Amino acid sequence: MSLKSERRGIHVDQSELLCKKGCGYYGNSAWQGFCSKCWREEYHRARQKQIQEDWELAERLQREEEEAFASSQSNQGAQSLTFSKFEEKKTNEKTRKVTTVKKFFSASSRVGSKKEIPEVKAPSPSINRQTSIETDRVSKEFIEFLKTYHKTGQEIYKQTKLFLEAMHYKRELSIEEQSEFTQDFYQNMAERMQTRGKVPPERVEKIMDQIEKYIMTRLYKHVFCPETTDDEKKDLAIQKRIRALHWVTPQMLCVPVNEEIPEVSDMVVKAITDIIEMDSKRVPRDKLGCITRCSQHIFTAIRITKSEPASADDFLPTLIYIVLKGNPPRLQSNIQYITRFCNPSRLMTGEDGYYFTNLCCAVAFIEKLDAQSLNLSQEDFDRYMSGQTSPRKQESEAWSPGACLGVKQMYKNLDLLSQLNERQERIMSEAKKLEKDLIDWTDGIAKEVQDIVEKYPLDIKPPNQPLAAIDSENVENDKLPPPLQPQVYAG
Amino acid sequence: MAQKDTTPPPGAALRPPRVFKLVLLGSGSVGKSSLALRYVKNDFKSILPTVGCAFFTKVVHMEAASLKFEIWDTAGQEKYHSVCHLYLRGANAALLVYDITSKDSFVRAQSWLKDLESEFLPGEVVVMLLGNKTDLNKEREVTFEEGKEFAESKKLLFMETSARLNHQVTEAFSAVARELLQREETVGPTQKENARVALNEGPPRQVRCCAH
Repeated sequence: MSLKSERRGIHVDQSELLCKKGCGYYGNSAWQGFCSKCWREEYHRARQKQIQEDWELAERLQREEEEAFASSQSNQGAQSLTFSKFEEKKTNEKTRKVTTVKKFFSASSRVGSKKEIPEVKAPSPSINRQTSIETDRVSKEFIEFLKTYHKTGQEIYKQTKLFLEAMHYKRELSIEEQSEFTQDFYQNMAERMQTRGKVPPERVEKIMDQIEKYIMTRLYKHVFCPETTDDEKKDLAIQKRIRALHWVTPQMLCVPVNEEIPEVSDMVVKAITDIIEMDSKRVPRDKLGCITRCSQHIFTAIRITKSEPASADDFLPTLIYIVLKGNPPRLQSNIQYITRFCNPSRLMTGEDGYYFTNLCCAVAFIEKLDAQSLNLSQEDFDRYMSGQTSPRKQESEAWSPGACLGVKQMYKNLDLLSQLNERQERIMSEAKKLEKDLIDWTDGIAKEVQDIVEKYPLDIKPPNQPLAAIDSENVENDKLPPPLQPQVYAG
Repeated sequence: MAQKDTTPPPGAALRPPRVFKLVLLGSGSVGKSSLALRYVKNDFKSILPTVGCAFFTKVVHMEAASLKFEIWDTAGQEKYHSVCHLYLRGANAALLVYDITSKDSFVRAQSWLKDLESEFLPGEVVVMLLGNKTDLNKEREVTFEEGKEFAESKKLLFMETSARLNHQVTEAFSAVARELLQREETVGPTQKENARVALNEGPPRQVRCCAH
């Protein structure tokens, strides 16, 4: 029976299986109903159109920006002449632009632009490219900054624009490829500046920072937590995990920070603020800056508590504690984003890199955290994790004196609430009792009445004779003297 | 991957020294931080104006060239062992520190070496085994010979130091520096084209200035 209906369900008309274009071959739903040949033609056409549109848009944007650059440049007067020449050359070059891009980013860009990806195209670029106020501000700053480098500045600007355009066409590629392309760009730029531009190293670093700021402000929207990755899922997982670990105390982690000292708790709050702030920054380096500031506050907190400089043995547990307390938003996305798009020279070395590595360690530790790492028994750990009990509840007395005012007040309120709760419960139970008493009482009365009624059934006998004959039964009625007769006395 | 500039181009005098990342490994309280503190600030656990001592930089001038050490301290507690491989990424040198008065810390140092071996190719990273706390010679549990033998069997550099007495500390770091420079010269730039360390180092001249 069921088999029959199933068969009917998958029945498809023969004509539906054929290519939509009617070439006679079979079509495939993966090719939107076309056969492979027709699909390729169709797709190619659509893609060409898209590419054409994108080029136009990119060119328009570039023109706009160059105008902005030119106008800001012409304000300087002396510079304007050389720049207009540069501008002219640019326009001439426009027709040959495709080859220019290829020339600069030969291997990788060729792969990127020619690769056909049978995926839905990215939403219309005009929406994506909406420039926010911040992007504008950063662009202006970037142009201002480059002005100080004259010719090298122009060259850098050109390269950066080309890179951004190339990135625009790489949007459909995997995030790893985009990341790799960006890293290559950083490296090429630094190398070119040094070898061709003869820029001294410390300057190179400054320029690289500016470049990073400029490109990442623009790319942020597309490459931070992209939909093609499971970054968001990981974010939610770690967030949930940290929430589940809300009961972890500094004592369990052996954190050498005493929050009873007001200065220390101040530092802890600042560190938490910094780590939370990280999410609001767009540029990887600014995000790293937040981590570094957070770390420095942690070091200060440890130093005040221990009155000796903190070592890594103290630092990592404290950072873990701060992350647990702060539960920073989109933690995994941020880490991934920094790893993929930060200038690599910052990440593996340098102070920022060190603190970033520590943060990665902290997150890895939180993910793996178990009873043993908190010096707890497995039963206790499970009970705390399931939320059955909280170690903090038992310690609430010990907690309150050191905590800040708000927390103290909270504990007081919690106390009050629990007292109220108790009283409420008492009232409820009393009320229940009263209700029960009342019911019992009515039942009791009813029962008593019933008993009495049963015991003394109410029998009303019908009257045998009319009331007039009330003395009819008297046996010796006849023997009575006759009733007295009324006599009249005249007197 | 970036090529290592072994032959400095003209104008090399201006360029800052090559940066090497050195990771301090070892159990808790074997004196990792103290060693670094002694080496960098010539100090021993006194109150310092610096906030933290987990990350240090020091420029070393050797006979032939100078280099800059970037010293990364790590958390030594057993429970963090599983995540500590993250510190090793991109390291050029590692100091395996143990406490000569604790057999246990010596065993842990050996397990750290296993981590290093799984993270790096042989010869990719300079490793030095370091027995610290020679000032507590009376309570010694690990003999000099034991340490030396193990180091030789694994082809590690070896020394015993005392951060408290400032004994052999600078010498130890200098030995690592010398070895690093030597390998740089003999191995040359081609060796580091290893996909596993793709993010290893930035271009060598992109030197980061220490904030302090």
